Amino acid sequence: MTESPFEIGGAVPDAARIVEEIQRTVEARRRAGAYADPRLMLAEQANLLHRSRDANFLDLYLAGLKDAVFVDINDFDIRERRRYLAPWLVRLKKGLWNLLKFYTYRLWSQQNEVNGLLLTAIEEMDRTYRARIEALERQVGLREAASSEPRDAAPPPQASNR
Amino acid sequence: MNAARHVVFVCPRFADGATLGGAETLLRAQAERVARAGWRVTFLTTCARNHVTWRNEASPGRERIAGMTVVRFPVDEKRDVAAFLRMQDRLSRFLRLSAGEERMWLANGINSTALCEYLRREGGAAHCIVVGPYLFALTDAVSRVFPEKTLLLPCLHDEPFARLACVRALFERVAGVLFNSRPEQELAKRLFDIRPNASWVVGMGLEEFAAEPGRFRKRTGVKGPFVMYSGRREPLKGTPLLVNYLDLFVRRTGREIRLVLTGSGAVTVPPTLATRVVDLGFVSEETKHDAMAAATVFAHPSWNESFGIVLLESWLARTPALVHAGSDVLRHHCRVSGGGLWFSCYPEFEAELELLLGNEPLRRAMGAAGRRYVQSEYAWEKVEERLFAALGSPPKSAGPPA
Repeated sequence: MTESPFEIGGAVPDAARIVEEIQRTVEARRRAGAYADPRLMLAEQANLLHRSRDANFLDLYLAGLKDAVFVDINDFDIRERRRYLAPWLVRLKKGLWNLLKFYTYRLWSQQNEVNGLLLTAIEEMDRTYRARIEALERQVGLREAASSEPRDAAPPPQASNR
Repeated sequence: MNAARHVVFVCPRFADGATLGGAETLLRAQAERVARAGWRVTFLTTCARNHVTWRNEASPGRERIAGMTVVRFPVDEKRDVAAFLRMQDRLSRFLRLSAGEERMWLANGINSTALCEYLRREGGAAHCIVVGPYLFALTDAVSRVFPEKTLLLPCLHDEPFARLACVRALFERVAGVLFNSRPEQELAKRLFDIRPNASWVVGMGLEEFAAEPGRFRKRTGVKGPFVMYSGRREPLKGTPLLVNYLDLFVRRTGREIRLVLTGSGAVTVPPTLATRVVDLGFVSEETKHDAMAAATVFAHPSWNESFGIVLLESWLARTPALVHAGSDVLRHHCRVSGGGLWFSCYPEFEAELELLLGNEPLRRAMGAAGRRYVQSEYAWEKVEERLFAALGSPPKSAGPPA
């Protein structure tokens, strides 16, 4: 059985092994949906590493967007921070919320529609441009291969011409 | 004879008082060590102190500082700042410059004609000239005066500027290059055609210091665990990223943790993190070292580093580190020493910070490993060995000025 890299018995910590172990754990958690958090995408905006890997970052953003796009309007508690009169204030807020529902629901459903359309449009743009870039890369690859062919596969000198 | 050896150091700014940049500190520290060894040292610099305005603030002339003769010259004032900034902006956005635009960028960069004329007049007898960092028109101009005995101390980063044709010419013109770390040397070898046996990894020595975490907590009132960052606050240094990550970390994990910042520059803190950020601004070395010793973890989220002085200092204070994986240099220090971990995205940051916060033996072991690394690799005796090996043997076969 291998010793956990996180347990230290006086030896020099193996930083590379610890990081590898963490990356494995993170990957497993990612698959389990632990990082499907829209706040995470916002936090990543300042990460310069993503600038050199734009395609990966777009994937990350799109995954986050898919999770966040359809807002649940009832997904919050009505609370009151001030202790004094809190139960009454909460009741008042709930009453106001019920009165405003007929108007708010209309705005909410429109917003959800817009969000959904925007996501579809962005995904479509991503798909289209990726396909175009891949096609162009294939063409460039074929042309490069074609231009290097005569040199690489030059016919042997014809000795029988003598 | 050592006493007869004369070394000229050149840097656009001289590190004193509030003028504190990594490259400036490094060049001054090396120059002082050379002077202490009995060599004659002249330090040529400009009258500028501020790296944004480049105004001639100090008086031109010479003075004796720490066994060296420091000579200051005015920065050339006739330059088209708007054109320079236009080119700079294009480069920052990864756009290419034509040869003409590169010439314009160099012609309007920070330079000092008076300094170069002085060097041309007086530098003939010098044993060698050490100039840096690479990203200044002054460095380029100085390298053309006596290229056959010029050693470049570039403080090179993997950035768009490093890919300019004029920068390549600079690296290939000089007699040798002094790097701060192996990854910096490897980057330069990938980008330029550096002559074999003409580059050395030298770096800077770090002095031991006595730090008292209790004194820091008493003075500032900071309680509980905290992450520390020290240095300039700017996007390339990763400060906005660290603030974003820590804000999210607190909201996702509910951990009681603070962020202590020292250094200069503005930082935007989200309201959700505001009560947990202690911004001390510019502090004395003693306070900085005390804070490093008191910190639970030292964070260095910078992308562009050629050395990482504060990381090494935090290890001397026995504090483990979290660094950005995008910096080859910081990652190298952590991998070799075992003193820190690196992250490339928030989930890794979260998992690593959680691990360090919850595992005190690991924290202690990493802090101790980092400290041993600094003591063995960056003690002044080791650095001096490498520095004098480089200064003692600049190759004679340098190419002519381009």
